Amino acid sequence: MKGTAIILLVLGTPLVQAATPGEILASYRAEATRVSPGYRPSVAQGAHLYGRQFGVSEKMPACSGCHTARPSQPGRHVVTDKAIKPLAPTANAERFTDPAKVEKWFRRNCTEVVGRECSAAEKADFMTFVMEGR
Amino acid sequence: MHKILVWDWPVRIGHWMLVGAFALAWLSSESEAWRLVHACAGGTMAGVVIFRLFWGVVGTRHARFASFVRGPGAALAYVRGLATDSPPHVVGHNPAGGWAILALLGLTLLSAASGWFVYQDAGGTWAEDLHEGLSSMLLGMVLLHVAGVLLGSLAHRENLVHAMFSGFKQGPAHAAIATARPLPVLVLLGCAVLCAWWFAQ
Repeated sequence: MKGTAIILLVLGTPLVQAATPGEILASYRAEATRVSPGYRPSVAQGAHLYGRQFGVSEKMPACSGCHTARPSQPGRHVVTDKAIKPLAPTANAERFTDPAKVEKWFRRNCTEVVGRECSAAEKADFMTFVMEGR
Repeated sequence: MHKILVWDWPVRIGHWMLVGAFALAWLSSESEAWRLVHACAGGTMAGVVIFRLFWGVVGTRHARFASFVRGPGAALAYVRGLATDSPPHVVGHNPAGGWAILALLGLTLLSAASGWFVYQDAGGTWAEDLHEGLSSMLLGMVLLHVAGVLLGSLAHRENLVHAMFSGFKQGPAHAAIATARPLPVLVLLGCAVLCAWWFAQ
């Protein structure tokens, strides 16, 4: 019974949390502005973050390693060689529509590639760049 | 009461393979660099469980489902009995432990299956969330299983963890299994390797 309840809860979660990329970006922007009032999301900062060779993980030094230099293009996992759907919402409408999922993957991938969790400002910059659909 | 052989080789090797693979899967669960290892660990677990289902029908006496799957009433009576001065002693899996085994096997299969869908990018967020939920439930079941083993060890003053290494437990001579069946371990390993390979495709 408890198991069933947990599964139902898990299955119901994505339906409840649907959002648009713009709404998710706005919430990161608002959070970043609380920390530093003059903050404005920057495509250039996002592009820099996206392409930067952090070198923290030997196999996964940069976002662009798996997601390619262009977020609108399909990527390839450097370890498993599995295809990765494009990050850009213009090329893949499923991207950035579930705040919990966005937060989960920022946490996982920032921890591994950047070596720490990303700030709200970094997330907003990253999203601003990716949403350009280059 | 004598020191008798209870757990055959496939049961023991399979058990510790599950322990190792689950630990590896848990430790690698948050990492993309370890994603291939994670999938192989999950495949190994699926392979061991598939073999165990088959071994539960054709294996040695105490490995067979028919010898340890009891109703919920028997399990409750056993747990209540642990608190008394003369706790009921069972040579193989006790009735409560039997339910833990079934839950562990079932959750492992479901967790591995949902993980396969995630790895194939076939189930979307749905499969991701299901896989995380099932794996957390499996971890909870493992902790409950370990707690039960420690409780049983104390109640019977018998090291049940050691028994899962050596295969020997205390019991009447007639309850012993005749041989430890080393050869089917090759089938177990083949099954695990095949599943690990298949999961990584």
